[in-house]
Amino acid sequence: MGLPEHPDQKFLDLADLCEQKLLQAIRPKYTWKLFQKLDLEFLLIGQDIRNHLKNCDRMILFCATLSQNADTCIRLAQTSDVLAGMMTDAMASALTEQFCDLAEAEILKNFPDSYATFRFSPGYGDFPLSVQSDLLSLLQAQKATGICLTESNLMTPRKSVTALIGLSEQPIEKQRKGCVGCNLSQKCPYRRKGVHCN
Amino acid sequence: MKNPEKKSDFQKILEKHKFLVLDGGMGTMLQNAGLPPGGIPELLNFTDPKLITNIHRSYVNVGANIVYTNTFGANRLKMAKTHKSVRNIISTAIANARQSGAEYVALDIGPIGQLLEPTGTLKFEEAYDIFREQIEAGADADLIVFETMTDLLEVRAAVLAAKEHSDKPILVTMSFEENHRTFTGCEIPAMALTLEGLGVDAIGVNCSLGPVELLPIVEELCNWTTLPVIVKPNAGLPDPVTSQYHFDPDEFAGCCEKFIDLGAVILGGCCGTTPEHIRTVAQMLKTKTPIQKKNSIPSAVCSANQTVIINQPRVIGERINPTGKKRFKQALIEHDLDYILNQAIAQINAGADLLDVNVGLPDIDEISMMQDAVKAIQGITDTPLQLDSTNPEVLEAGLRCYNGKPIVNSVNGEEASLNTILPLVKKYGAAVVGLTLDENGIPKTTDGRFAIAEKILNRALALGIRREDVYIDCLTLTASAEQEGVMQTLDAVRRVKTELKLHTVLGVSNISFGLPNRELVTRNFLTMTLYAGLDLPIINPNTASMMSCVRTYKLLANIDKNAVDYIAHYGTESPENINNNNNNNIINNPGGMTLESAILSGLKSEAGTLTKELLTSSEPMQIVNHMLIPALDKAGADFEAGKIFLPQLISSASAAQSAFEVIKHHLCESSTETVNRGTIVLATVKGDIHDIGKNIVKILLENYGYQVIDLGKDVPYEAVAEATEKSHAPLVGLSALMTTTLPAMEATIRLLHERCPWCKTVVGGAVLTADYAEKIGADFYAKDAKETVDIAKRIFQN
Repeated sequence: MGLPEHPDQKFLDLADLCEQKLLQAIRPKYTWKLFQKLDLEFLLIGQDIRNHLKNCDRMILFCATLSQNADTCIRLAQTSDVLAGMMTDAMASALTEQFCDLAEAEILKNFPDSYATFRFSPGYGDFPLSVQSDLLSLLQAQKATGICLTESNLMTPRKSVTALIGLSEQPIEKQRKGCVGCNLSQKCPYRRKGVHCN
Repeated sequence: MKNPEKKSDFQKILEKHKFLVLDGGMGTMLQNAGLPPGGIPELLNFTDPKLITNIHRSYVNVGANIVYTNTFGANRLKMAKTHKSVRNIISTAIANARQSGAEYVALDIGPIGQLLEPTGTLKFEEAYDIFREQIEAGADADLIVFETMTDLLEVRAAVLAAKEHSDKPILVTMSFEENHRTFTGCEIPAMALTLEGLGVDAIGVNCSLGPVELLPIVEELCNWTTLPVIVKPNAGLPDPVTSQYHFDPDEFAGCCEKFIDLGAVILGGCCGTTPEHIRTVAQMLKTKTPIQKKNSIPSAVCSANQTVIINQPRVIGERINPTGKKRFKQALIEHDLDYILNQAIAQINAGADLLDVNVGLPDIDEISMMQDAVKAIQGITDTPLQLDSTNPEVLEAGLRCYNGKPIVNSVNGEEASLNTILPLVKKYGAAVVGLTLDENGIPKTTDGRFAIAEKILNRALALGIRREDVYIDCLTLTASAEQEGVMQTLDAVRRVKTELKLHTVLGVSNISFGLPNRELVTRNFLTMTLYAGLDLPIINPNTASMMSCVRTYKLLANIDKNAVDYIAHYGTESPENINNNNNNNIINNPGGMTLESAILSGLKSEAGTLTKELLTSSEPMQIVNHMLIPALDKAGADFEAGKIFLPQLISSASAAQSAFEVIKHHLCESSTETVNRGTIVLATVKGDIHDIGKNIVKILLENYGYQVIDLGKDVPYEAVAEATEKSHAPLVGLSALMTTTLPAMEATIRLLHERCPWCKTVVGGAVLTADYAEKIGADFYAKDAKETVDIAKRIFQN
């Protein structure tokens, strides 16, 4: 969120407080389903997702959310303190990714003999957001996790993720997620310096 | 007048059958019949009506009394892509269900599929209208079922639509997780209190879990309702890899038997259940008799996520009320919801259990203000509310959109009041404060007030309002003017409590009006009232001595067992601090610090304190122009130069904000002057729900003295144009974070050019660039909040 490299104690204290409140509030949830790639051809719109799943025969559809409580927690924080709101929001985004990592590791335990791609989400490259609706309905995401779409295909609760993970019997060559899915990729201060944020 | 004892049609049906058997899974059967993943089940009503009727019949044949129509998602949003009307889908589905020969056909309605505001973008009123359309289309059904619901607010919209557009029995089941809450956080007691209050015919649970996991959930539900309880579990938990459910019919029925022992009387199956499961359940029920249901539940009010039981003194915070507060009045006139929200947060942090909400002011539209305030407060907190107005229309506006069971403040012994307020309380299932006054004013004697309390109670009972939901206010008279009346109030509280067995409520602060050292009088009176039996003191919880008085009482009255709460609050405090007013009033002299340095270091409370001191010797506008703004300019320049980062800039802005709040408060109290260097409209464009960036811009602009009209997020084009027209704002700021919502930004600008040719537009947001801003016709592109301020300064030439 653009803090200096060595922030003041004041910022660190506020960050601790925001983190504590957020962790207390959230009730994270995820769900997933396994499909044969051939059964879901209609979902694979664009070149990038096809490349991503090139050598895969199956795929896992996946979604996860920090729950509506994360939204409430952010709203509450920013009502009395905009900075706390911004910090809570940034933390919730990071936490969503961490939660997805944990969930993914759990899921992949079911497939000890397969190789998996990284999570590829609608909005990355040319894989359009418009697939969200089908993706979520295949997962029965509202029943399983409470995730819904707005009319403009944005997920609510806001701190939610959908993704596809390809599975293959053969080793998958190492891929890099890079900046392909990032909204800020065009004006990222890290990229300008020639480095990455993670 | 309706006799509340009269049995409803549904009760008669239930009595006739002893138990009612519902059907099992529809989706499961359709998938088994070959519905492809992602297929739309509702379309099968047209493409394969026989299949649908056969599924219904297979449940009827094994003993189901009620079948649910194949219309779970048949609302206008989900069905838009089918190009079929809701009316057509629903009436066809009902006809298919009738063909099965079912005894009763229930119109099945699931969640809308979009989240309501504030997390989602769907408005309560839109949700209501979507349900209304389904209810009207289902006129041929025998009853209405809302199932798999997780948002209590959405359920309220559904039930109100059903009540106002049909007279069929209404059944509601919600889906709970193992933590006894739904995804949105709704608690079981809150569901029960709210829906029983709204007058539905049966409530229960379906889906989400199997019969084993649902057992403790059903147990809790049965403790919180007198209504018939429905259980429609899944066939166990699904296998993670195959998504198959594993409970066989005998296991399923075996588990379901335990629901009967808890008090459930309506059973069926959800995901993974088949006619075989329902057959075994129906057989099992033949051997059972319903157990005697509980007929009393505790006196309690709730939001969706929090229930407050009135079994000990509970503090109602009185601060959301403009009476005698000029700054609050100004906030209402400016529609400054943030100000109200911060009043709510402060009181909750101080220990309020409930919040009174009064937004009455002669010059504003109190009806829409009440609605906006209720929606905003319940968007950030779970604390239940007490809706306070003298205008029944205002009360109804609040009652409609309140997510839970609130208190209505108030009815009194006058005929006009009894006839208008009590029916509202009954319709929306609220609790109510009854004031012991009538056409002749406040009776001087205890007997007079007691008589009015009794009258209010009897009128409430006659309408079917529960005794537990009537709270009597025996009215505090000012000790300085009517000293002899103080003890009368206390006697009345005691008698109402012991003889009528009602809970009592009292606005305490009024006692000390006109006396010196008011706090001393109020605090002692509070102790006396608590001892007399007061349950709901309406006080200012921000005054530390008031809360300490309540906490001490609870300790002494053996309510706070082992003094746990008392020690948690006062265990580490030095004695003199306990009775000090809230800590921000204590002036810490920040030792030589200037307002500028406080702002630059982002020190909020110091900035406020220093401003208070400065106001004793300087003019408010001088402070703004010569200290506040130069400090912000310096922070802005440092930010631009890369010396400080965004969080530090925001932190300075927050400190400036608290200085500004002190100045606003001072101006309200001492003059008619306000700070306004120009009006700016701000909005996150339609379709976009990211508003953090916009909020940062807002606080910075406000710090520079601009009046910001904040329209929020997901704002329709027309709303932006309308607000700009109305305020004649010379500048409009638009924000968007997503590539997908940039077209909405362009459309908003186009409409602004048409309707408000005088205004300039400034745009910003993660995905925007200067080039793109130019392309969509914006006058300015601001790369950050600081640049927006620079642009505003240019436009307003200040």
